[in-house]
Amino acid sequence: MIAVGVGDSVHATPTTRGAQDVTTPVPPPPLLSMRGISKNFGAVEALVGVDLDVHAHEVVALVGDNGAGKSTLAKMVAGAITPDTGLIEIDGEPTVIPTPGAAHALGVATVFQDLALCDNLDVTSNLFLGREARVGPLRDDGYMEATARRVLDSLTSRIPSVRSQLSTLSAGQRQTVAIARTLIGDPRLVVLDEPTAALSVAATAEVLTHIERLREMGLGVILISHNMMDVLAVADRIVVLRHGRNNGVFDAATTSHEQILAAITGATSRRQSRMHALR
Amino acid sequence: MSRRAAAAAGSQSSLREANRQLVVETVKRYGGLTQIELADATGLSQATVSTIVRELLAAGVVDTASTTRSGRRAQMVTLARRVGLAVGVQVGHRHLRVALGDFSHEILVEQSLPLPIEHRVDTTLDRVALLVVDLLERVGASLDDVVGMGVGVPAPVDLATGMISVHGVMPGWDDVHVGQVLSKRLNLPVYVDNDANLGAIAESTLGAAREFTDSIFVRASYGVGAGIIVGGQVLRGFAGTAGEIGHFIVDPEGAECRCGARGCLDTIVGAAGLLEQLGPTPGLGNLRDVVQRTNQGDERFGDVVAHAGTTIGSVVAGLGLAVNPQVVVVGGELAETGETFLAPLRAAVLRGLLPNTIAPLDVVRAGLGLRAEMVGALVLALQSTDVPLSVEETVEETMDVGGLL
Repeated sequence: MIAVGVGDSVHATPTTRGAQDVTTPVPPPPLLSMRGISKNFGAVEALVGVDLDVHAHEVVALVGDNGAGKSTLAKMVAGAITPDTGLIEIDGEPTVIPTPGAAHALGVATVFQDLALCDNLDVTSNLFLGREARVGPLRDDGYMEATARRVLDSLTSRIPSVRSQLSTLSAGQRQTVAIARTLIGDPRLVVLDEPTAALSVAATAEVLTHIERLREMGLGVILISHNMMDVLAVADRIVVLRHGRNNGVFDAATTSHEQILAAITGATSRRQSRMHALR
Repeated sequence: MSRRAAAAAGSQSSLREANRQLVVETVKRYGGLTQIELADATGLSQATVSTIVRELLAAGVVDTASTTRSGRRAQMVTLARRVGLAVGVQVGHRHLRVALGDFSHEILVEQSLPLPIEHRVDTTLDRVALLVVDLLERVGASLDDVVGMGVGVPAPVDLATGMISVHGVMPGWDDVHVGQVLSKRLNLPVYVDNDANLGAIAESTLGAAREFTDSIFVRASYGVGAGIIVGGQVLRGFAGTAGEIGHFIVDPEGAECRCGARGCLDTIVGAAGLLEQLGPTPGLGNLRDVVQRTNQGDERFGDVVAHAGTTIGSVVAGLGLAVNPQVVVVGGELAETGETFLAPLRAAVLRGLLPNTIAPLDVVRAGLGLRAEMVGALVLALQSTDVPLSVEETVEETMDVGGLL
């Protein structure tokens, strides 16, 4: 069943993209577009009129201080919380993401900070947790193991065995498993919340390389991170949030570390915020 | 995989040989792993893996050491190291590559790390040091096993001082003694050189130019550079700026270059120049995108890459007239587009060179691909180190454990 879904979307994506290239020079609508998103928790203004665009083949970093609203926004994309007001569009179509299941159906996959993996299960079981492939009434273990290996290979991961128990893996390898799990449903948008926090440099190197791979595979990626070095290494654009509001959108190629820090800390205000459909 | 090998080869001994090969390749890929993991990763049975590992251990191909995995005893298998280890590091514009290798030029483990544009010298060197230690841990070795470290940087290096000899090429790196910083941190001898020179060393030692004594390595990456090998030796020049063709002036009225001049080759065919020629395009952010789109058959990208090939080729031709190489090896990211880039470059080189009757020159793609510079750093470190006289190491008797615990 899943295999059919995989084939369909792989087949569909190049055709539509090719058609657009030939017929119209107008760029395709963003994969995800959020406009005027607001959310209050009692007296706490978590998000106020936030805008966010993510295109296919693009890594958008979401940065800001603690409590700036990064994780709240990520949870909205993942369907874990719903905005009070605002518009969410996927492929230019207005939509609502009421539940995590709905997000999954829309092709959005999320890795939260706590990874949500099961220590007592092996790599394959973790990848397919809650979405086990079946043949009739039985679990299709052969298919799941083969798929697990294929997904891990596509990330050029260093996990030797898909039968290893999670508890035996290093922190970096666990992050790899969590990222690999997002690829099982063949998503179009992957949200990563602090994927390199508390990792060694070698593990960080692996995770950042995985993010580059996701981008090369044509996916949109939202990367939440505190580490400017990591963000500037892999992101195309950097969206700064401050006290639940947009405080600037920066092109990673032409922006310095200091400019972003200035926006995060409020030394510069949002006047240079420039959101446009292109890029 | 083993099943496929069996179908292809058929006989019992060739099957065993294929399985041995598979085990060695797998150990190489993961750096070090236990026998149980090895069985899972190769798809072979644990008994087969155990037998093969014992054979490979006796033949001196792998080393084993006792370790624990989730509280149980296990046999960690790594590739055997000949005499000592060396570290090869390539600091690129957008990537850091680190490899551990031994005296047989065998790479035991490698890792690359994406870097930001204009990364800072302190953060990057800190990451180099930490990454080296992490990788040593991965193969079960320590800093004491390392004899030296080679570092490649995308700038001309004065070999006498180990410092970047032209100011402004790598902002922030000008007054930092890269070799000394790393040497102090890791307590190792560190040899710093230009990345194109290292690519040239690697290609002439192990890659596409290994059969020739005179060659030029052209590195077409975020900037362009060349490494020159004459009579088997790198030609660096007095201050290490030999072969810096990226600063050959192509258009005297062109854009300003980092070096202060106008219209250098780098401003036209460097990453920034190529992206500017392509204009704002959705999903286009770096040089890798240019390579990917070209390889997917996008003609607009292909044309820009081909034109860059012609421009670089005409400059390389000038260098060729000065050096008279037997072969021009082309590496760097742009070479990953294959003949799209190479064919126009080759045509331009041959057009500008004096045809000689002794041996026609060829223009080929780097045999080591994007790893050339990193491998070159490794080779530089090994070549700069005296080989200890006692080659034989005492191998500890660890076979009795059997590996199935």
